[in-house]
Amino acid sequence: MTNTSYQDMGRPASAWQAPVELDLHHPDPAASPAASAAAGSAGHQRNDTAGLVALAAWPQWSWAVPAFLGGLATLVLVALAFDATDLMGRSFASSSVLGVLVTVVLAMTVGTAIKLALDEMISIRRLRHIDSLRAEADSLARANGHGSALAFADTLGDFYAGRADLAPALHALGHTVNDAHSDAEVIALIDRQVLSALDQRAYRCVLMASRDTAIATALSPSAALDVAIVLWRNLKLVREVATLYGARPGQFGSWRLMRRMLANLAVAGVTDSVGHVAIDALGGSLAAAISTRLGQGMINGLLTARIGIAAMTLCRPVGFSADNKPNLRRIRSELMSVPKEVL
Amino acid sequence: MKFLKWNQLAHVGEQALGQALGHVNVLAGRVMEGTLRLGVTGLRRSGKTVFVTSLIDNLIRGGRLPFMDVIAANRFLAARLRAGPDRTSPRFSYEKYLAALTASPPHWPAATTGVSQLRLALRFLPTSPLRRSIQPMATLNLDVIDYPGEWLMDLPMLNQSYRDWSTHTLELTEHQPRRQLGARWLHWLSTVTPDLRPDESLAREGAALYTDYLHACRRSQSNLSLVQPGRFIEPGELAGTPLLTFCPLPPGNGEPRAHSLWGLMNERFEAYKSMVVRRFFVEHFARLDRQIVLVDVLGMLNAGPAALYDMRMALTACLEAFHHGRGGWLSRLTGHQIDRVLFAATKADHVAASQHTNMRNLLDMLVSEARNAIRFEGATVDTLALAAVKCTETVTTEHQGRKLACIQGTPLGRQRATVLFPGSIPDGPDLFPENVSQPYRFLDFEPPAGVGRDGRGLPNIRLDQALNFLLGDHLA
Ligand SMILES: Nc1nc2c(ncn2[C@@H]2O[C@H](COP(=O)(O)OP(=O)(O)OP(=O)(O)O)[C@@H](O)[C@H]2O)c(=O)[nH]1
Ligand SMILES: [Mg+2]
Repeated sequence: MTNTSYQDMGRPASAWQAPVELDLHHPDPAASPAASAAAGSAGHQRNDTAGLVALAAWPQWSWAVPAFLGGLATLVLVALAFDATDLMGRSFASSSVLGVLVTVVLAMTVGTAIKLALDEMISIRRLRHIDSLRAEADSLARANGHGSALAFADTLGDFYAGRADLAPALHALGHTVNDAHSDAEVIALIDRQVLSALDQRAYRCVLMASRDTAIATALSPSAALDVAIVLWRNLKLVREVATLYGARPGQFGSWRLMRRMLANLAVAGVTDSVGHVAIDALGGSLAAAISTRLGQGMINGLLTARIGIAAMTLCRPVGFSADNKPNLRRIRSELMSVPKEVL
Repeated sequence: MKFLKWNQLAHVGEQALGQALGHVNVLAGRVMEGTLRLGVTGLRRSGKTVFVTSLIDNLIRGGRLPFMDVIAANRFLAARLRAGPDRTSPRFSYEKYLAALTASPPHWPAATTGVSQLRLALRFLPTSPLRRSIQPMATLNLDVIDYPGEWLMDLPMLNQSYRDWSTHTLELTEHQPRRQLGARWLHWLSTVTPDLRPDESLAREGAALYTDYLHACRRSQSNLSLVQPGRFIEPGELAGTPLLTFCPLPPGNGEPRAHSLWGLMNERFEAYKSMVVRRFFVEHFARLDRQIVLVDVLGMLNAGPAALYDMRMALTACLEAFHHGRGGWLSRLTGHQIDRVLFAATKADHVAASQHTNMRNLLDMLVSEARNAIRFEGATVDTLALAAVKCTETVTTEHQGRKLACIQGTPLGRQRATVLFPGSIPDGPDLFPENVSQPYRFLDFEPPAGVGRDGRGLPNIRLDQALNFLLGDHLA
């Protein structure tokens, strides 16, 4: 039994506000669901996600390099423009049909060039947007607050607006989240109801890719071919994963993502070093230990898996939580079973 | 091509094995059913009946429990009511309570007057591949019982002799407000001595006065919890029997004569313990696997420091008896252990959602001793703030230039919804400001009209997290 006395609980409370009834008969028109009141709290735009190298933090060249490149590009453009007008003039001089044809082809070329550039810009913008979403989700989940996460859910809904595959999950999320959920709970619900299905699919992509590289490396006759295959497959994987999470990277964007991925391999929750992976791979199976080719295949496969997992971590609009971090273990054990099937 | 052959062979073998297992499944599916007894513990009016009703409704409909892992992972198949394991005690009338809650106008269940039980069979897909290969579908039988909260207060008596109990009760009565509430009984006590002849009419008189005093404790402003014996308030089927005609007597020094008023009362006390209390707890509480302790912290804040102190004492005393992990004394009667205990602050919908953290912290503080003791015994403990039936919405309003998180709902006894700031829960140990006479007035609310009509289960706050903690590992 307790020995606490009444007095222990009877000291004055600091900031005390008396209960009030605001309106007896008609609910206050100013009263609004907590969500919309908190919608303006967009003060969470932080660009440094815990542990991840931000997009902007890429090797900063001195001012001279961009100036030089910019100047060069302008010169080339001007030269091209002159050439183009010249070309057009000459074609029209020889025959008007040829002139029209050349003009049309020129217009198409310029048009697609512009479109490609725009696509790249949009894709980079989307990647940045994902970064900021993840930062916001992270701070919401930590802050122990209430009411702001519904606005975040709306933002995420807008982000995935065109995705037919996510529409049912987003719709269901709208039904499950209510005004009593804390911010951290809303983020957890988004995580389980919307993103976990994507994780499963991404996981499958990673698995396929790491199998492909493992087998290709093991079977390919030359080292140069290996490198080419692995590079191509990894790039494809990064694009697949990024597209799945809605990042939609272009050609240039995937390269950027890929470089960032490599820079993040160490911090993105995939902590075991390459050496460790090698030992795992070699020690894991007798076949691997005997055949260096097989061993290399497995190392490449695991590297691909790590790149894929890093891509998942970087492209996910809500960071992985402690209990759903993707792990190499499953991929590793799947890979160990590959050689027997191949031979 | 040796490999291919081997592969084919393996495939054939696999098929045969699969078929054999398929036959086993049919048997195993019936035989291998788990059972889990959930103890819903709570003092009077703490929300046991409402909790059990909402638990059953939500598990049957499954639409409002996103934080239950088995539901989130789409492994939950369905739940179904079954007859309780004990054929002699009445069935928990879930349908009646649900119908009352969803009627127009809706009603809360009346105070419970007897024990009832129900079994809910939960069908799900197991996660572990091994288990799935033996048994593609698993069943967990969840047993719950409901009883009047008053009866819980009998539990500490089991461990006391009549002398201990009398001493303890009389000590309590020395303090206000009990002293004043029990004035008539105390007066009667001063007119008798334990050595008097064992006179039945005298015993009746004493018991009647004592019962009045207990009722007064319940009714009084301070809403006291430590009220023993529970059957004096809620006699169930025992009303008017001699089992209920005793009361504490001041223990004299030295052994009183056997043939005396004391002897009579002592004998009745022991009979009450063995025929009423022990039987009830052995039948219903002994083999519990999991326990949820419902605490109405808001009601206690409303009632003031004395009530809060009393409740804390009552809860600690009751929980001592349960067998958590190793070594509770109830274990002498059984061999069963409770390995997970959840303390839940109920009626969380009576305050704005932004207050839930404080509500949980307050509960943490109130049950800290009991919690530490249970942890020490090796059971897992958690706390949370929940509402079995969510009756309000949290809204934000402007009041005198301040943004206030308010709630919108229909207070009990009114016709229309209103918006109100119900007061906030302090986030420190200083609960009662000195200069304010009644700092807290948390209102009760009517269930919202049309609640549960959408067929997704009764709206709730964190029922899913509670169930995940209590049942989650048995549904994996
Ligand atoms: N708003 C709200 N009120 C609740 C909730 N649960 C209980 N209540 C209120 O608390 C009262 C008591 O609930 P019961 O479930 O009957 O309490 P009990 O523990 O069964 O009480 P006894 O049977 O007397 O031991 C109800 O009448 C409701 O007014 C809840 O989840 N939300
Ligand atoms: Mg009840």
